[in-house]
Amino acid sequence: MTVVALVSSIIISIGSLAWGYAGVGFDIFARWIVIFGMIWLFTQWQGWGWFSSLGLFFVILLSAFGLWFGFTPGWLFSSSIFALFAWDMTDFHRRMRSMAKDDNMRGLERRHIARVSLLSLAGLGLASIAMLVRVQFTFEWGALLVLVILLGLSQLVGWFRRQSK
Amino acid sequence: MYRSIFLSTLVYALLLAGLITLRGELIALAIPFMLYLFFGFWSAPEKLDLLIERTLSIDRVTPNTDVVVTLTVTNHGADIEELLLDEKISPRLMFRIGSPRHLIRLTKGSSRTFSYTIAGPRGTYVFDSVNVTATESLGLIRREQSFATNKKLFIFPEVKRLKYVAIHPRRTRVYAGTIPARVGGTGTEFFGVREYQVGDSPRMINWQVSARHAENLYSNEYQQERVADVGIVLDARVRANLFHEDQSIFEHKVKAAAALSDAFLSQGNRVGLLVYSGYLGWTIPGYGKIQRERIMQALARAEVGVSSVFAGLEHLSPRMFPPESQIVLVSSLVNDDLNVLIHLRGRGYQVMVISPDPVKFEHKLLPASSQVDLAARVIRMERDLLIRRLERAGIQVVEWDVSIPLDQAIGPALTRPRRLL
Repeated sequence: MTVVALVSSIIISIGSLAWGYAGVGFDIFARWIVIFGMIWLFTQWQGWGWFSSLGLFFVILLSAFGLWFGFTPGWLFSSSIFALFAWDMTDFHRRMRSMAKDDNMRGLERRHIARVSLLSLAGLGLASIAMLVRVQFTFEWGALLVLVILLGLSQLVGWFRRQSK
Repeated sequence: MYRSIFLSTLVYALLLAGLITLRGELIALAIPFMLYLFFGFWSAPEKLDLLIERTLSIDRVTPNTDVVVTLTVTNHGADIEELLLDEKISPRLMFRIGSPRHLIRLTKGSSRTFSYTIAGPRGTYVFDSVNVTATESLGLIRREQSFATNKKLFIFPEVKRLKYVAIHPRRTRVYAGTIPARVGGTGTEFFGVREYQVGDSPRMINWQVSARHAENLYSNEYQQERVADVGIVLDARVRANLFHEDQSIFEHKVKAAAALSDAFLSQGNRVGLLVYSGYLGWTIPGYGKIQRERIMQALARAEVGVSSVFAGLEHLSPRMFPPESQIVLVSSLVNDDLNVLIHLRGRGYQVMVISPDPVKFEHKLLPASSQVDLAARVIRMERDLLIRRLERAGIQVVEWDVSIPLDQAIGPALTRPRRLL
């Protein structure tokens, strides 16, 4: 089940991104994206889990560029979310290798996939709402966001330091 | 941990890019990732409150015997979405059935039991802890902890029963046993004749001798049988054990030492063991079942070692053994050993050498050729010469072709009474 989810998420993610780029006439880019997707699939077949992090980074980077240049956001959002899904599945697949035959593999798989799917859907929904309810970027909004980022960063650093102790 | 750092970095990069470019779409793109991260942090596992118990079906076995290890994990804390139990077990042990790694979901108050079957070669194996890694369902935050479950598995060498090992040390201990004590008294073997003493049984009177001496009666004396001090020396030097392509004769020596110590202890003797390796592993002499256990544990731990200090047997100090006691050296012998053994013999020790035959052992490992045969003949002659010199010095040498089981190969030679020197 995990492998099917992993492969399909890579295909959908790369397909969406390539479609998003091809839709605005960047056919050569789309072809390179498809080639990258094939490499990603090949690396997963070889068991090189680290490549999924590179894949996620690559997809987010291209999605961000696409959004910046004003491409159709739906394909790019879908591409990023499925890349996140694939990244998650890669690690889950690695963890699943630790399971013994008598462990409840099916149950754990089912719960995990359901949870990540719900999270992805919720993320996609929130992103879509954010796109619909467009807020004008004013200085106040920017300052608020910077404050939130700094607060989040400090919390994150504090949490990591506590963990390292 | 690295996953959460990676994802956090991506989220902040998107947020910063959104702020710098003043594009809300980039911030919207970060939302699913933020949600994923927040869920991971929110469901991070709390401090682990687990009770882990491990039991072994048997903790003292012979090599390659199946041992069932059962692990019970009980969760007294909060629900754990993914719990990875990983036991670090010696790579020398083989898994016959089951696995020592398990990934499970453990709810509050629930318990899981796993079993796996292992087997392995001689050795002492410590099961000191179980490593546990708890993660939330996304695998972003993990908490690792080690739980102590002290258990030891002793895989003792196989012990072949030797019926009786005849030894004749010069000095024995005061307790009654089976070793001829070279002292007259009660016993079964004729020792000599002495003047009749009040209290002697009429059956003890030697009528033939008494008839020749009209003024006195003479009684038979029998050799007292007592227990003796026996020091077993196991030669674990690399140069005396490793041969062609690292094939070792050491396991055979360990088996011989186990069988001998078992036989001597069964006869009621006080037995000590010295493992002469890269260090001197000394098991203080003792009697009975407890001593048998100590010696077996020492033999289970014994390994071939290399040391420039202990390359020769010079450090086999006579002070380690009670004066004039019996020393049994289990060694395939190297030429340098001759002087040391003669020196020990000169100090009054009775020395017996059980020598697994290294020439036959190595010859079988080598490809058949005329050169190999010639080399084997030369080494055989050298070895025969060494053994003859040792025997001339009053040292009993029992050669053992290790392709024949110990009890069959050297059992008869050991039970045979030997001329006293």
